[in-house]
Amino acid sequence: MKFNQLGKRKTVNHAALNMSSMIDVTFLLLIYFIVTTVIATPEEALTPALKSEKSSSVSQDNFEPQIILVTTVNAQPVYQIGDQSFIDRNHLAPFLEQLPKEPGLIFRVDDSVSVGFAIAAIQEARNADFEKVTYVPKLP
Amino acid sequence: MPFKSSQNRVIIPVVEMTPMIDIVFLLIIFFMVAAQFAQQARVEVALPIGAGEQDTDIQASKLVINIRANGEIVLDESIGEIDLKTLNTQLQTFEDEGASWEDITIRADRDSSTEVLNDILGLLSEHGMKATNIATEVP
Repeated sequence: MKFNQLGKRKTVNHAALNMSSMIDVTFLLLIYFIVTTVIATPEEALTPALKSEKSSSVSQDNFEPQIILVTTVNAQPVYQIGDQSFIDRNHLAPFLEQLPKEPGLIFRVDDSVSVGFAIAAIQEARNADFEKVTYVPKLP
Repeated sequence: MPFKSSQNRVIIPVVEMTPMIDIVFLLIIFFMVAAQFAQQARVEVALPIGAGEQDTDIQASKLVINIRANGEIVLDESIGEIDLKTLNTQLQTFEDEGASWEDITIRADRDSSTEVLNDILGLLSEHGMKATNIATEVP
């Protein structure tokens, strides 16, 4: 006896992908990259003008009140202007506020101080609204 | 004949995972690429703390001169330390190409001595650069 093929019940296979393992691995990768990525610190720049000591335009006599010497006295880095000395940027800042802004400021930076100490002074000059800030490397 | 009530039917909630997996993959790609760029772009130096000028675009610099805490001058991490003579040659090439001071940024470690910085600034002056960009770390 021949049975009708159409009479059979059709079975449909639903293929199911198990995603759990992949999601586990993916999360592990995500955590790895989050932990290992060093978040870059935001950077800015100070743009002081440059003058060479050899240049005749930098004359200590003409700009004496506006020249700040960044140097070391008794192994202590100091900012010297005229006969006054300041041991850090916090002491220098109020003094810079009082200076006239038009002539600008000249920093003569000695080889003996750290970059951080010298740049802090330039930053304070900018904070005190000095338009013309000049860096003069004090060459030996 | 008693029929089965439709209220007893168990509903299995289906959580759609596809958008979440998409986002997770995008995050992975972002962190992979960001990590790669961070390694390539910057030599590790602790910059002086300062808000800077707030209007300079140091990312556009064509030449970045790094000064490490021990005074080493590095242009590119892959090349390593260079001396002032090599830097002078590089600056000469740079000058010949018509670059100006705005194309140069100095990234000096805050603990390094100004001796090296002064030497480099002296070189820049000799090459006719009227100013310089000194990178700071925004607090």
